[in-house]
Amino acid sequence: MKLPSLFARGCASPLAKLALAATVAATPLAFGSKAIAQDTIRFGAPLPLTGALAPEALKQQQGYNLWAEEVNKAGGIDVGGKKMKVEIVYTDYQSNTPRAVQAAEQLITQEKVHFLFSPFGSGAAKAASTVSERYKVPTIASTASSEQVYDQGYKYLFGTFTPNDTLTTPLTELVVKQAPHVKRVAILARNDLFPLAIAQEMEKSARANNLEVVSFEKYAINTMDHSSALAQIKALKPEWIFATGYINDLVLLRKQMGDQRIEAEVVTMIAGPAYQEFIDAAGAGAENISSAAWWHPAVKYEGVDLFKTAENYVKLFEAKYNVTPDYAQASSSVSGELFRLAIEKAGSLDRDKVRDELANMDVMTFWGPVRFGPTGQINSLEPPVFQIQGGKAVVVYPAEIKQGDLRLGVK
Amino acid sequence: MFTLQILANGVVLGCLYACIAVGFSLVWGVLNVINLMHGSFIVLGSYLAWGAYNSLGLSPWVCLLVAAPLFYVAGYLIQRGVLNRVIAAPVLVTLTLTFGLDLILNNAMLLAFKADYRKLLLDPPLGTVAFGSVVVPVDRLIATFLALALTGLLYVILRRSRIGRAIIAVRLDRDAARLMGVNVASTYAAAFGFGAAMAGCAGVLLALIFPISPLSATPYLGKAFVVCVLGGLGSVPGAVLGGLILGLVESFGAFAIGPEHAVTLSFALLILFLIFRPQGLLGKRGFE
Repeated sequence: MKLPSLFARGCASPLAKLALAATVAATPLAFGSKAIAQDTIRFGAPLPLTGALAPEALKQQQGYNLWAEEVNKAGGIDVGGKKMKVEIVYTDYQSNTPRAVQAAEQLITQEKVHFLFSPFGSGAAKAASTVSERYKVPTIASTASSEQVYDQGYKYLFGTFTPNDTLTTPLTELVVKQAPHVKRVAILARNDLFPLAIAQEMEKSARANNLEVVSFEKYAINTMDHSSALAQIKALKPEWIFATGYINDLVLLRKQMGDQRIEAEVVTMIAGPAYQEFIDAAGAGAENISSAAWWHPAVKYEGVDLFKTAENYVKLFEAKYNVTPDYAQASSSVSGELFRLAIEKAGSLDRDKVRDELANMDVMTFWGPVRFGPTGQINSLEPPVFQIQGGKAVVVYPAEIKQGDLRLGVK
Repeated sequence: MFTLQILANGVVLGCLYACIAVGFSLVWGVLNVINLMHGSFIVLGSYLAWGAYNSLGLSPWVCLLVAAPLFYVAGYLIQRGVLNRVIAAPVLVTLTLTFGLDLILNNAMLLAFKADYRKLLLDPPLGTVAFGSVVVPVDRLIATFLALALTGLLYVILRRSRIGRAIIAVRLDRDAARLMGVNVASTYAAAFGFGAAMAGCAGVLLALIFPISPLSATPYLGKAFVVCVLGGLGSVPGAVLGGLILGLVESFGAFAIGPEHAVTLSFALLILFLIFRPQGLLGKRGFE
């Protein structure tokens, strides 16, 4: 991201631009890590900055950068009485999971980072966790929810997303309570790690609440047409349609539901409606779509962290990036804060001490209460359920922070 | 009635696929160039429609009239200025060149438009029409008719117009055409221009139907590839037939064996065609 912004600021001749670009590119290689390693704390962040996952990586990068900026503005992290600035070292693994593992190892062995953030998503986080475990580097995964990431018996891996069922269970209970006539659920899932896992959790939640799952279909990645699957769902007349995928899938699905004149009492989509981009792209079709995520700008917790409240976090974020943050960015920022709190409590950069402080952590943050379970995955968070109402995401659960009631009927 | 709905979905989808593939087929068939930029051209057309509607209030139908000449000129210039330099080289060279150009174009779009998914939302929306219990969305229906009309127009141009006959002549025998006084370089450029114009127009139509992002370029290219192999290279009706077959196979495949296998099925069909009928359904040596 450095190069384009340099170019945008513009220096006169193309040659000068090239020279500048070359200097920027060469700096980390030439001067290396050791020269500055003494007074800064280095955090490694392997991210898919290019390729299919690039939009997600940019979100994480925004979260980390905002955190680093705020910490450094406050003087840095207090390590046993000495204030140390933080620096985030990024490597691009080009949306390629095997490369994420290499990138993590390179950050530890060559860039000599003190601590690590996991690569994006459950799959890559799990793959890279083996490396950080081998080198005993405390690692926080800010975008990995699947329990399979954490059940490997690893001691150095922590995660800020609760398991997938914490998204589907409250949602199901809410629907059952508010709309007892909803009995039949149709599930359509992208055949991909997270979307499929969340769909399977939905199936379990539905069965546990005596709902009938009338269909459970998977669609392939890069599917360009859902009309057949939707025609079948329409024929089954479900009251609840639960679809998973990413923004492009869900925008297309929502459009094609309209094309086939499909209506239902409840339509839930994960994960897309948490993003403003979904609301813009789906237009009127986004209305009354429900969803769940690990965090929402409307949550109200009084944290002891640097950001303190979601409101303050959103303000800082909007001032820097001109957009409202969603859970991915907030999770990245809170991950940094958890490292800071653990380091300050440990009073040292000793990896084992910091690891122990993370394991024993019990704090309130703008993200919510943070305690890690025995596997390292957070177990203290109650993810909010929300619904798009009037073109805005409105929290409908949990009761303490809700902004409105769940509305029925999606046309 | 349910089967009728699946059939209708398949036919409409097939015409969209034909729309995606016809320009690609022309360029591959006539120039023997596998234009890997095709997907990015389509996405660029979608951005054009999206921008024109949201900032100038220009409807996609008007936008088609702008897109066609614009993309024709762009395609003409790219062929004349860049591709023509290596046009006589083996197909792998032009493939690599278009691959490189596509990387540039696609990443430029990522920088300019970001990877966010957008959507062209008409106000008021076009809605759907029902024939009995079979529901068909109006935007897909219009895209279907326009795809057929554009394909038909291209067919007429190729058969009736001077430049069209020159394109066919060059395809049949480049050296003989040159001896007959055909300017091969500019004929090639015109063919590439037509291909680009078809891609641009397809993009304008598809902006109404699919989410728009530079990342969609690859799936479009993949579909174009399959359609061309099924229908036959360089054959305009072949692209329509290939598109229809693919649409119907995916539609009924998703119905019969589940949507997760629909894409697998279409690629299995591709492999079968490559083994048993590599020239495709309507492709033949000699063309017209």
